[in-house]
Amino acid sequence: MSLEVPRELREEARKHDMYLTPIAKDTYELFFGPQHMATENFSIILKMDGNRVEKAIVNPGFLHRGFEKLAEQRPYFTNIALLLRICVPESDVPENIYSMAVDEIVGWEVPERAIWIRTVVLEMARVSSWMFWIMGFGNEIGLYTAGQWAAAYRERLMRLFEELTGGRVYHIYTVPGGVRRDIPGDKWLRQLRDTVEYIKSKLKDFDEILFDNYITFERTEGVGVMDKRFALKHAVTGPNLRAVGVPYDVRKDDPYYLYPELDFEVPVLKEGDSLARVLVRRYELEQDLYILEQLLDMGPPSGPYMVQDPKLKNLPRFKVPAGDAYAHVESTKGDFGAYVVSDGSHKPYRVHVRGPSQSHGVTVLEELLKGARLADVPVILKTLDNCPPDIDR
Amino acid sequence: MAVTDNEVKNKVESTQKAPQDTQNAKPELPNTKEGRLVKELLEKAPYAEGSVRREKRIEFRVPAERIHEFLEIASEKFEMLMQISVVDWLKEGEFELVYQLWSVSESVHAFVKTRISRENAKMPTVMDIWPVAETYEREAHEFFGIIFEGNPRLGPFILEPREYEKHPLRKDFNTLSYVKTIYGEDFDRYDESKTNYVI
Repeated sequence: MSLEVPRELREEARKHDMYLTPIAKDTYELFFGPQHMATENFSIILKMDGNRVEKAIVNPGFLHRGFEKLAEQRPYFTNIALLLRICVPESDVPENIYSMAVDEIVGWEVPERAIWIRTVVLEMARVSSWMFWIMGFGNEIGLYTAGQWAAAYRERLMRLFEELTGGRVYHIYTVPGGVRRDIPGDKWLRQLRDTVEYIKSKLKDFDEILFDNYITFERTEGVGVMDKRFALKHAVTGPNLRAVGVPYDVRKDDPYYLYPELDFEVPVLKEGDSLARVLVRRYELEQDLYILEQLLDMGPPSGPYMVQDPKLKNLPRFKVPAGDAYAHVESTKGDFGAYVVSDGSHKPYRVHVRGPSQSHGVTVLEELLKGARLADVPVILKTLDNCPPDIDR
Repeated sequence: MAVTDNEVKNKVESTQKAPQDTQNAKPELPNTKEGRLVKELLEKAPYAEGSVRREKRIEFRVPAERIHEFLEIASEKFEMLMQISVVDWLKEGEFELVYQLWSVSESVHAFVKTRISRENAKMPTVMDIWPVAETYEREAHEFFGIIFEGNPRLGPFILEPREYEKHPLRKDFNTLSYVKTIYGEDFDRYDESKTNYVI
């Protein structure tokens, strides 16, 4: 690609004793991130040709904190405070997968009340994570108002979380065998219902400003297209897979907790471009609010919120029988799984977390960025919903 | 008389054979979706051992030399490779590689387990079956030092270049001594009585 300098500009430059010459090939290397707002602690090395990406090399590792190694050196229950940091916007997901895997190895039947609370917490985390995503995506394409609204609505959920668990972002709430505390009371349930209704009433505003906005259409339509076969071979999961026409949702296909009893739909679109990925997320936000309403209508069952086991009296020396288990849940980013191996001692022998960004944040991103314009790089990043701590751990 | 003799012989043979059969035969597979799936795969790959763990979880044990062949057969049913988990069994001197597969059409999760020696650990790559394996293999190579033959991008990935080839997730990697070599005696985190190290 050669850049022609206009004749008038050249003449004007010559008057000031400057000579502009056309550039034969405009290639350069661009370090995108980790301080760029779109990439979130993650960097991509872009080999650019003019405004087009020729090659992208993903460069993760800025968030590596060695959680898997540390988890092997700490007792089972203290690992919750560690592993939840793997997924920042919805920290309840790593708590839950780890707890589910340990529950399966021990063979515990988690009490009904704890299961209800865990389902509510997971759905609240999903709604809060959608708000976080709207915030990021709105900022990427220049619709800052939607992002500011979403941040304000997320605050309501974070206050509810604070009342329930004591933490705003990292909750350390779900533990193997149940949850750490009971629900604060009926007032909290009323507040949750108010919040759900409030966010539901605000969906119309989000549609007007973000999802039904022609700027969003112009920026996302036909950008970063992938097909069904490519997505399956690259183990893309979650909304990104549903945007290429595969109706795979862990909540339906490998049901856990109360999801078999709940009535909800799995939105599927076929286009596979960024717009489809945005719209699938929009429909899922609606479904999650609907699920929360159903759960609140059901009401918490009575009973204990923690499994009744005499072994739990000596928590630091609590031993888990030898065995292994894999548990996974549907997070907003995709299929989040954990593989826990126990050798019969009081520490896990191996914890391996499968973050959804490991698949769509490395190889898929590199493929989709090929040939994209520089301005589309943040759009592709945000519509894939890449979460770097999943890759680094 | 001869007929009855034969019958008796047959009976004796059958009674003698029966316990041997149960010893040699694999445990019976339940007549469920998972059981049929395991049976179907074992017919194509008789060298593997398969079992149903619970609903939606099945398990295979495959010798390391034939893992690529087995995964190629399995990829017809299991569209997605979710993860390659490595477990370091230090006492046995072996690495256990667990290929976590998920079938979208059957909605079943499969563990495909194989064991290789810790010394000169080498495996064939499965990038040609699932291109996403590139990322998982890079991670396993960096943390455990397993060489995946055919993967062109093995090298520093998540860790810093100075940490490369230290393989921190191996069980014989000592976190404390590594920290001391990097930060020296300045990184002194003893408690007040200077007896216990505080992490």
